[in-house]
Amino acid sequence: MIGNFLDQFWSLTFGGLSLGFIYILIALGYTMVYGVLRMINFANSEVFMVATFATIIIVRDVYNFTQTSEYATGFRLWLILGTALLASMVVAGVLSVLIEIVAYRRLRRMNSGILAPLISAIGVSMVLAEAVRMMTDSRPVASPRAMEKSFIGKFFDADIRLDNTIIIFAAVILLTLLLAFVNKTRLGKAIRAVSMNGNAAKLMGINIDGVVSITFLVGGLMTGAAGFFYVLKYENTSFSIGFELGIAAFTAAILGGIGNIKGAFYGGLALGLLETYASFFLGTQWKAVTVFVVLVLILYTKPNGLFGEAMTQTRA
Amino acid sequence: MSTSILSLKNVTMRFGGVTALNDVTFDVKEKEILGLIGPNGAGKTTVFNVITGVYQITSGSIEFQGKSLAGEKRYKITRSGIARTFQNIRLWGDMTALENVMTATDTHKRSGLVGGLFGSPISRKEEKRDKKRAQELLDFIGIGEYADRLARNLPYGVQRRLEIARALGTEPKLILLDEPAAGFNPAEKVELAKVIRKIRDAGYTILLIEHDMSLVMKVSDRVVVLDFGQKIADNTPQKVQDDPRVIEAYLGVPEDAS
Amino acid sequence: MINLRDKGAEIWERANRPQRVLMAISFIAMAAALPFLGGTFLNTPIADYQSVLVYPIAMFVLMAIGLNIVIGKSGLLDLGYVAFFAIGAYTMGLLGTRTSLNTWEILPIGIAMAMFSGIILGVPALKLRGDYLAIITLGFGEIIRIVALNLEVLGRSGGIIGIPTPPPIFGIEYAFDSHRIYYWTLLIIILFAIWMVRRLSVRRAGRAWESIRQDEDAAELMGVPTFKYKVWAFVLGASVGGAAGVFYASKTLFIAPDNFTLQISILILACVVFGGMGNIWGVIAGAVILGYLPDRIRFLSDARLLVFGLVLVIMMNLRPDGLLPRKKREKALPNKDSNKDKS
Repeated sequence: MIGNFLDQFWSLTFGGLSLGFIYILIALGYTMVYGVLRMINFANSEVFMVATFATIIIVRDVYNFTQTSEYATGFRLWLILGTALLASMVVAGVLSVLIEIVAYRRLRRMNSGILAPLISAIGVSMVLAEAVRMMTDSRPVASPRAMEKSFIGKFFDADIRLDNTIIIFAAVILLTLLLAFVNKTRLGKAIRAVSMNGNAAKLMGINIDGVVSITFLVGGLMTGAAGFFYVLKYENTSFSIGFELGIAAFTAAILGGIGNIKGAFYGGLALGLLETYASFFLGTQWKAVTVFVVLVLILYTKPNGLFGEAMTQTRA
Repeated sequence: MSTSILSLKNVTMRFGGVTALNDVTFDVKEKEILGLIGPNGAGKTTVFNVITGVYQITSGSIEFQGKSLAGEKRYKITRSGIARTFQNIRLWGDMTALENVMTATDTHKRSGLVGGLFGSPISRKEEKRDKKRAQELLDFIGIGEYADRLARNLPYGVQRRLEIARALGTEPKLILLDEPAAGFNPAEKVELAKVIRKIRDAGYTILLIEHDMSLVMKVSDRVVVLDFGQKIADNTPQKVQDDPRVIEAYLGVPEDAS
Repeated sequence: MINLRDKGAEIWERANRPQRVLMAISFIAMAAALPFLGGTFLNTPIADYQSVLVYPIAMFVLMAIGLNIVIGKSGLLDLGYVAFFAIGAYTMGLLGTRTSLNTWEILPIGIAMAMFSGIILGVPALKLRGDYLAIITLGFGEIIRIVALNLEVLGRSGGIIGIPTPPPIFGIEYAFDSHRIYYWTLLIIILFAIWMVRRLSVRRAGRAWESIRQDEDAAELMGVPTFKYKVWAFVLGASVGGAAGVFYASKTLFIAPDNFTLQISILILACVVFGGMGNIWGVIAGAVILGYLPDRIRFLSDARLLVFGLVLVIMMNLRPDGLLPRKKREKALPNKDSNKDKS
């Protein structure tokens, strides 16, 4: 077993890294909203789920790919991938903003504590997941393959797959853009100001509603990109995918310290690798259990995560 | 001089890079009213928070009746005899005034959940006794007529006083009042001063944070002054008022509107 | 907004003792007579009416009462309530098929198992902020299902079949199709649960939970051992879920991981929220309505979860106190402003 593991170490590691980047992007949807609102963006998992369907619809219905189509190549391939990525991001971003308006805004104005918005968001995720389940007859949906999953090189003994490479590169670009946005632009600075101290930011004339919407938008865009990458890597989705990946991405956010972009990055990578290695030894059916055990262990032993703020109760 | 009930020794409290309390040392003596004053942000409420265990101090020690409070759970500190009120009223709004006080008197009940379930005689007796005690306390503070009103529907001044009654419900030896007169008009302040003295005369020790100087000077036996987390004076009200350091601390900062 | 709960409480308070006994008896008699009303407008076109009374309605009511202790009374959001239901059911399944113990003997074991897992999960999780508790419990509910799905001894996806019915008690036989008998038994369990919750809520524990729900820090600083009471609430809620699970397994005779999905947790949560968190009558009304309607109205049975999700969103935003809200009223008081809503 160990020998096998060492043989496959690098290919597992690459797979784990690309999964890790998917987690990072979803985790951003949790972590950014948490930073600004101190609330768990419960419906983010379903934003991700909807984004995976958006990708499939683009590839299957807009570009008319079927399971037997020939692979796209060259410019056409990049065009297809680009449109699918963009569409998933836009759909997810808009959906995320709408969710904030429907599930949170009113309750936020009423100052209704943490329970009510959480329940409201649970309701929204339920509606989304159920609506999609009914539309897909509860069946998983496979994505036609637009891109040949060729090996583009070797690293030690491991084949480097094209899809994993695209995911890692594209995710790094997106993260760089995100960091530039948060650190360099006015809006990004406003988001950070609200994260640090909501009341002070309000007093300084920052439009809180606007900042919250932008935060949901950005979180949604990142989560949407993750939806595209997921389909690229696994080539299928289902109505229940949100729940499965959502809880893992949330764990990643906590692992790194929720409310903190850097935390989402390290947490996502760590969890992606850990999950991939653990699946190798224990079998994929225990994947969710592994993630949960990690989540519980962090919360019990190091509730601040690696970089984050305290999550135990706020003191008077 | 009487014995001290609470003593803070070289207490320092840091939050990240900010030092909220810097080497603060003072005693509260039994059955006195000690005023704790200082400009905004001087660290007064932080003193309450470190005494009641909301924050763990960075260094120094806090002893209550000769016992260190370090690392003690917050509810145990309260049960050992320290109760407080809150600057921003924190009553349980959905409970009646009487229930608010009874929840605090529950601190001293012995019957457990199981006793409550089966209506054991101890539990029934305690329930009766607590109700009586809670009503007595409301009467004592002068708000007995509001017993069955929901806390959130009470007038502001009554809420402030209910906070005091609730704190007394825990049967404390030392009671910490955090700006009990905030938002009061002069007539109410006079009334409150009487209540505070009455509480002391009933055998309680009081540590009082208050912005209204005339009230503090009138009721306190002794006054401790904090400025930027440091103690700058500790003396009788008269001497504190004449202390040049205190005057300087207050001149730089506009006094609170109240 | 009118507050039906207060109206009801007023009538109850004005009544003297014999009147109260009479009211209680007639309510119980009405509930007990429900199985005979199958031919009337109450009939459910989709499923057998009497079996609908047992599951979902009575089962939902029981679980909603249990979850209400956790979420309504003490404000702890438990999203994995199904876990305790599953633990009770699998305890019944395992012991019922592999030992000679009968349902009544397994019932306390199932409850104990549920309470035990409540402690194991609750002691560490209840130290965290409320919304983290929600995620932890959510994960826990799902883990229990995955474990059942992957452990040979629990039958994997096939589940456990051939679970025995309860043995006769006082000469009453529990045939697998005599839904009425199960319904009445459940009714007794529900009445017991109501008695327990009411008993606890009026005394010290009720006040402690209430203070924790409204302002936990203030409660702790007023000497309430908040952690202890939170664990108690969590474990009591678990015990009710465990009891429901044991009985469920002994009724359906067959359990599988698919019976214990996240959706059950959300359904029960919807019952509690819809009826009115914290008020036991509201919660019961919520569970009855949400348990019954999907079987009465055909459209709803397909879109059940979708509708329940909508219920959560709409209730939270428009009427966060639910159908029958918790106590807002003050005793004997002419004052008008006392009826103001909190928002």
